[in-house]
Amino acid sequence: MNIINKEVVIIGGGPAGLAAAVELYKKGIQDILIIERENTLGGILRQCIHDGFGLTRFKETLSGPEYAQRFIDEVEKLNIQYITDTTVLSVTKDKKITAASKNGLIIWQAKAVILTMGCRERTRGALGIPGERPTGVFTAGMAQSYINLHNTMIGKNVIILGSGDIGMIMARRMTLEGANVKAVFEILPYPSGLPRNIEQCLNDYGIPLYLSHTITNIHGSSRLTGVTVSEVDEHLKIIPGTEKEYECDTLILSVGLIPENELSLSAGVILDIRTKGAIVDENYQTSVPGVFAAGNVLHVHDLVDFVSLEAENLADSVAAYLEDGNLLACGIKINTSGEINHTVPQYVSGTKEFKLSLRVNKPLRNCVIAITQNGSEINSIKLKKAIPAEMIQIPINHKLLQSDKDLEVCVKC
Amino acid sequence: MKQIYDVLIIGAGVVGSAVAREMARYKLKIGVLEKNHDVCFETSGRNSGVIHGGFAYEIGTLKAECCVEGNLEFDQVAKELDVPFKRTGKVLVGNTDADYKSLQNTIAIGKINGSVGLEILDKEHLHELVPTVIGEFAMFSPTSGIVEPFHYTIALAENAKMNGVDFYLNHEVVGIHREEDGTYTITTTQGNFSTRWVVNCAGLGCVKISDMLGIPGYHIGGTKGNYIILDKKLGPLLPMPVYPVPSSTYMGIHVTPTIEGNVIIGPDADRVDSFTDYSVAQENMDFLAESASTLWPQIHKSDYIRNYCGIQPTWLDGNGVIKDFIIEAREEAPHTINLVCIESPGLTSALPIARRAVRLLSERETLQPNKNFNPNRKGMVRFSEQSDEEKVRLIAENPDYGEVICRCETVTKAEIMQAVHNLLGVDTIVGIKYRTRSMMGRCQGGYCQMRVAEIIQEELGKKVTDVLYARTGSNMFTGKVRE
Amino acid sequence: MLKKYTCIICPNGCDISVEIEDSKILSVEGSACKRGNEYVKQELTNPQRSIASSILLEGGVLPLVSVRLSSPIPKEKISDVMVVIKKALLKAPVYVGQVAIANVLGLGSDVLVTKNVGAK
Repeated sequence: MNIINKEVVIIGGGPAGLAAAVELYKKGIQDILIIERENTLGGILRQCIHDGFGLTRFKETLSGPEYAQRFIDEVEKLNIQYITDTTVLSVTKDKKITAASKNGLIIWQAKAVILTMGCRERTRGALGIPGERPTGVFTAGMAQSYINLHNTMIGKNVIILGSGDIGMIMARRMTLEGANVKAVFEILPYPSGLPRNIEQCLNDYGIPLYLSHTITNIHGSSRLTGVTVSEVDEHLKIIPGTEKEYECDTLILSVGLIPENELSLSAGVILDIRTKGAIVDENYQTSVPGVFAAGNVLHVHDLVDFVSLEAENLADSVAAYLEDGNLLACGIKINTSGEINHTVPQYVSGTKEFKLSLRVNKPLRNCVIAITQNGSEINSIKLKKAIPAEMIQIPINHKLLQSDKDLEVCVKC
Repeated sequence: MKQIYDVLIIGAGVVGSAVAREMARYKLKIGVLEKNHDVCFETSGRNSGVIHGGFAYEIGTLKAECCVEGNLEFDQVAKELDVPFKRTGKVLVGNTDADYKSLQNTIAIGKINGSVGLEILDKEHLHELVPTVIGEFAMFSPTSGIVEPFHYTIALAENAKMNGVDFYLNHEVVGIHREEDGTYTITTTQGNFSTRWVVNCAGLGCVKISDMLGIPGYHIGGTKGNYIILDKKLGPLLPMPVYPVPSSTYMGIHVTPTIEGNVIIGPDADRVDSFTDYSVAQENMDFLAESASTLWPQIHKSDYIRNYCGIQPTWLDGNGVIKDFIIEAREEAPHTINLVCIESPGLTSALPIARRAVRLLSERETLQPNKNFNPNRKGMVRFSEQSDEEKVRLIAENPDYGEVICRCETVTKAEIMQAVHNLLGVDTIVGIKYRTRSMMGRCQGGYCQMRVAEIIQEELGKKVTDVLYARTGSNMFTGKVRE
Repeated sequence: MLKKYTCIICPNGCDISVEIEDSKILSVEGSACKRGNEYVKQELTNPQRSIASSILLEGGVLPLVSVRLSSPIPKEKISDVMVVIKKALLKAPVYVGQVAIANVLGLGSDVLVTKNVGAK
């Protein structure tokens, strides 16, 4: 079979892939190919028709498709090569990519690969919600796809589990389309999505949000007829005796996104169990030389503006990799503890500036996030408010590093 | 005027479909009445898919006889019906002296039943076979194997259909009346049927139908088994089914690999009275994981794909001992063949049971062989299983093989299309799921369900509000967003 | 009287407290930027929202095209605007920025197409 050589292959034509392509091209790398499995570029943004995208980047409040179009226009203008309706089946650690399309099996040999495949959603089955298994249970993204792309209405009386942004967005969407969204239940004692969405998606429409509640049973043998909801304690254990029945024909689950790394694994990329995305260094290079990752496939983002930034940040590194055949080793590990869930990147070299993206694992007020090395503080930021739903970014001047010892990131409140 | 069937089979589970296929070897006008929207929707499709070795049944029972017969011939059967089958072997793992004695007893019984090659493995040899198991010793059954139960049932049904059998899905039998001329009029939810012979393969409904046939007196309960399906990445850690040493009433919580590479934990066994409550309870899931973990400590909630349950008909005698299959042709109900309480090992025993049903028929009526009977049935070519060269050839022949619809399981549009146009006319989402594996992966249809629903509407001319998930009343959509 | 708001202008979602007396604003606290102050002032007098939805598309490669308002409208007019959007029909091809419904219900906001959709 014919093997086509490419300097850079980008797997996934969503916001991360598009931004990476454009930035790479501007840096002089022009032998790029974006591989997209859908029949248009744009990724998940195609179905995110609500606004709120581009506030930092474009100083405008755009819908998802509009945000994507800004980058698609650039790709077209620069004549960056892309192929749609093509699904990558495997990536080897030698950067050989095999994909299927109606025209046959296509194989590329890349010098560098950028993984930008995005996420999938956590399912009912993965959560193990007990009960019957009727139709009427949809993840929020499925509901969004049905309603926004497939012109298909999925139900009338809706309960939502999970106060993630997508769930709240769908609460509003379905209400505007005439559905009766009865309530949103969240197992944690705080919401998982942005406060602005609680305001404009739930409060605006009188949809109650119940924290510390979860669904303990699903009823209906053919179509959903109702759910049982229970309260949970501070350890997230069900409090017996608090069961309440809610009638509904639709249950929307907004209970977490999982980076879609099956292809990454096939390439031998090592994943971080905290992020479920690749372990990367400050170059966004994974454990496999020449394989880079950015966007939701690396760690779940809340704002697409930062996805684009992250993808652009790796352009220099990819260019350097192509030039030198390798990149400087990054031996300084970044450890997290306590309320810090994870950082990306997980390794740095100490030879150049880097930006740490991190999340806290519970809401904090008036706290200090400190980065220390060998006991002494390198950098710290003071935050009035920090919530798990919002990624925090801390730029670090490498000159402040005192050695090649590990860095520790923790919260000092 | 409706035609008079020679044989109407009630129930298109694995047994009903097997009976249909075996009877199609003769010149008979055969029909199958199935109350659900697809074959193998109940007990036949909700088990761990094990082709049993035959050592777990009382000597001299039909269960033992049929199981061993079915097991030994299964390579041939799988080849004829183009159904993936792996004779993986199985281990029954023990730790105590009592376990050891029990296994020795099992081997003795197994030998008499005809189960071949049973032997005790010491700790070292056990761990050579299954490095990930916890146990001191085990009985190894080399003839045990795994198959996808719905693939098998669908294959049997399709082979029967290819050979002239009519399948009536969504036809629930509500009454049976013996006419003066000796024929039977069967009333279903979608009209009446006329037949000379009736075969009761109704599974959970076997007593209901038996009563209708004029053979009262059977009482069955249900045994519900819950299962958890684990991610395919666990597949390589479990090369064969691993069971703890069984007790006298049920098999213990096992872990079983599937042909596709997933791992199934379960079943447990709860006595139930309802034949329609397919709910899985939290306590059951917790117990499955906890119990199976003592045998195979690879179980983590983060690897859960899904859970499900199945109900088997169960018949206990006065001493609480599980009874044998009933395969009978009773004088008081002429021209009927009554199959009662076909529980485990029903999957393994399906064709042997079917042949015994045919024998009961042939003992009462001369049967002419059907010279055109073709025992071979070709399944769908699965893109994901092909070599790169084959994939290229497939796509060149049919470009729809190049369009991946289900990303998790790499199922292409060509397969979805073939499934939508399946031989039995099944048009539910779950029907497509069983036939292609789409929607069975990690994302559980998050990526592909929308497309499959669209294809069903386009190809079958269905209105959006008529797309069914699985059962009657499982309409998935309320309408268009804009029209 | 103290009123509390969560600003929706940007993802920060600042918690803003407003002290008011006799409909006069005495103080605004908690916003990280000017826009937050503007937001709460608007919320007190005439809450505005922007919405996004879909319009039926004729002859397009997709059945619907996504749309949004060009500027916020009074919150209480949302359902009226939705009625208009639900009845609308566009013909493919359509382009980002195209005005689907100009000055909807005379509220000074256009309904704009937000996705390029080609003709079949």
